[in-house]
Amino acid sequence: MNIQGKGTKQNTYDAIVIGSGISGGWAAKELSEKGLRTLALERGRDVKHGEYPTAHMEPWEFEGRNRSTQARRARQHKQNRTGYTTHPASAHWFVDDIDNPYSEDKPFDWMRGYHVGGRSLLWGRQSYRYSELDFEANAEDGFGVDWPIRYKDIAPWYDYVERFAGISGTNEGLPHLPDGQFLPPMEMNCVEKHARSRVAEAFSDRIITIGRAANLTVPHNGRGNCQYRNRCIRGCPFGGYFSSNVSTLPAGYASGNLTLRPFSIVNQIIYDNEKGKATGVRIIDAETNEVIEYYAKVIFSCASAVASTFILMNSKSSRFPNGMGNDSGELGHNLMDHHFKVGATGIAEGFDDQYYKGRRPNGIYVPRFRNVSKETTQKDYVRGFGYQGRASRMNWARGIGELARFGSSLKADLIEPGPWRFGIGSWGECLPYHENRMYLNEDVRDKWGQPTVTFDCEWKENELAMRKDMKQSAVDILEAAGMRDIRAFDTVEKSAPGNCIHEMGTARMGRDPKTSVLNKWNQVHGASNVFVTDGACMTSNSCVNPSLTYMALSARAADHAVNELKKGNLS
Amino acid sequence: MKKDPNMENALEMNRRQAIKRAGLMLGAALSASTLSGVAAAQTRAAGAKGKAVNLSAKEFELVSAFSERILPRTDTPGAVDVGVPEFADAMFGGFLSESEEETFRKGLASVDAISQETYRKAFVDLGASEQDAVIQEIAKSNGQDLKSFYRKARELTIVGYFTSEEVMRNVLNYDFIPGRYDGCVPISETGNVLWAH
Repeated sequence: MNIQGKGTKQNTYDAIVIGSGISGGWAAKELSEKGLRTLALERGRDVKHGEYPTAHMEPWEFEGRNRSTQARRARQHKQNRTGYTTHPASAHWFVDDIDNPYSEDKPFDWMRGYHVGGRSLLWGRQSYRYSELDFEANAEDGFGVDWPIRYKDIAPWYDYVERFAGISGTNEGLPHLPDGQFLPPMEMNCVEKHARSRVAEAFSDRIITIGRAANLTVPHNGRGNCQYRNRCIRGCPFGGYFSSNVSTLPAGYASGNLTLRPFSIVNQIIYDNEKGKATGVRIIDAETNEVIEYYAKVIFSCASAVASTFILMNSKSSRFPNGMGNDSGELGHNLMDHHFKVGATGIAEGFDDQYYKGRRPNGIYVPRFRNVSKETTQKDYVRGFGYQGRASRMNWARGIGELARFGSSLKADLIEPGPWRFGIGSWGECLPYHENRMYLNEDVRDKWGQPTVTFDCEWKENELAMRKDMKQSAVDILEAAGMRDIRAFDTVEKSAPGNCIHEMGTARMGRDPKTSVLNKWNQVHGASNVFVTDGACMTSNSCVNPSLTYMALSARAADHAVNELKKGNLS
Repeated sequence: MKKDPNMENALEMNRRQAIKRAGLMLGAALSASTLSGVAAAQTRAAGAKGKAVNLSAKEFELVSAFSERILPRTDTPGAVDVGVPEFADAMFGGFLSESEEETFRKGLASVDAISQETYRKAFVDLGASEQDAVIQEIAKSNGQDLKSFYRKARELTIVGYFTSEEVMRNVLNYDFIPGRYDGCVPISETGNVLWAH
């Protein structure tokens, strides 16, 4: 193999960050701002803030009115499983499944994009803190291993990343959904406000609050506020929501210490047996197929849970014959995601004279209320779930199924706002099971000759028992909120693991190197200058959306890395 | 939803409000073309107006006539005015699956077969009330293929209509960049017209 860059000074940096999504963006910002010459490697194309080709397009400007062609669907037959990501408005942010294959022993939806910013451009922007309840969960009920950190360890870092990213929301004073550093909240609409007060009257243990979203309600850190177009997934020209492209990477560039190299597929992290640490990474240039090595004192793997785990598994050496950091045999195991697509909808009456203005890219949130205290302990399952939802007036699409109606009265009716509908869907915690895993597939190779990934993961009894309550409690909440015609749903068949795009856990943090891959600072056991700060590091799943926690852990780990470098502990 | 007998008047009000709003939002230069667009819609014939790329001329005519009865021109544009047949034709250019295309074409043939059986005329040659009677019969049908066709025809008509530039800009409340969110707005402030999005 002809390897470029071996031992050259120009290929040597202080720090290398693999990946430019939520976690990589934060690592790149923090390391470069703290004075480290940092190289960020992104396997896909560059996307500068503003390079969002569909951001201003209206439905009639898309061929097929933003529907996908059969040919495009065939190329994105797995990415298409979400049902919302592969329309022409956003399909360019998701991979081509033919060029980027993976295998499934059981159904697993691996939704991802290869471009600068990664899924930070595409995320749902819901931003909640894990609580002490979450960090104690594994120790409490015995599933998985104990988190090596507690809420107090991460709380200041939540403050720090919230202040920079800009999270809008309301403090509710709940111990199991900690308050934060919030910008002003978005407004609830009339029906949501009504439901909030009804639910507060009916239940002592549950509330409706406005979603905590990484959308700016006021200008913040040089970025414009949200324009309420609700087209976030296309990329926001106004910088109205947090992404690497508009937030962390520009901060890194401003430090003068950050270099970003797109089209750089990290094939492995290079380990030096004599030095007992990693010395750099080997990449494949996605366009030229050149193999190049880059060197650094510290390496942050932030390529996503699955991709970081892939890189560690593919980084074999005599010290780590089963993959870097895999002394425990846990690398690739304990794969988790949130299970969802269960809940209920109902119709609100008495608000026909009310409407709203603007398209709010955020909904309401019902924080977890099960297994948060002795009184709320469930006998059928451990852990819990929350709800996300919204009330809105139905639009013209309701007319498609009204088969008996057509003609002028149908048209006139569909031009008017339809009935108010309130829908809530639940996001449930999944347990860390050793059997739920990903592993390297040496037989199926990608177009650069690398092994690919196979998933073997499923929901088990605890998740399925929880779903029954997720469904029934949704009905209870909507009834209490005064809704009519309540319909419950549970489309578990559309919620295979991965579909929620919160995959995590495959290189977990822990107290004991015998049962975990990372220590309490996200350092790989046995290769302390390698940090993994994306979803791979998660020891448990919580029921809240995880990105804010990846931000906080990345910033915390970067701070630790710089301190350790200064002390000479990593060299 | 019960229809009020003064609906026609209310609709006319809505249309005027929509035109006024479009003018206010877009400025004089664009509102002129907006107004001429609406005016053109009022004078155009209700039959097929465009040209098919993927469908046959006969199929296109039938799609035009059928979709126009689903969403006919009143004081707001009809399906043909805003290019629903062209949208349906475009869907046959790689957007529908082969089986969807086949079911749809079979459905079109059934529409004509029912028309011939009942009135000894092709669907496109029937008067509006006869066409409506044929559609009512199809709506009641239990045949799986015919049901699938009818649902798809409704979907293409309604989606094609409400995502068209003319309807989004001039019939619905169009707000390209809202800039703010107000959770509770009296319906009167929006003319009881849906936001376009």
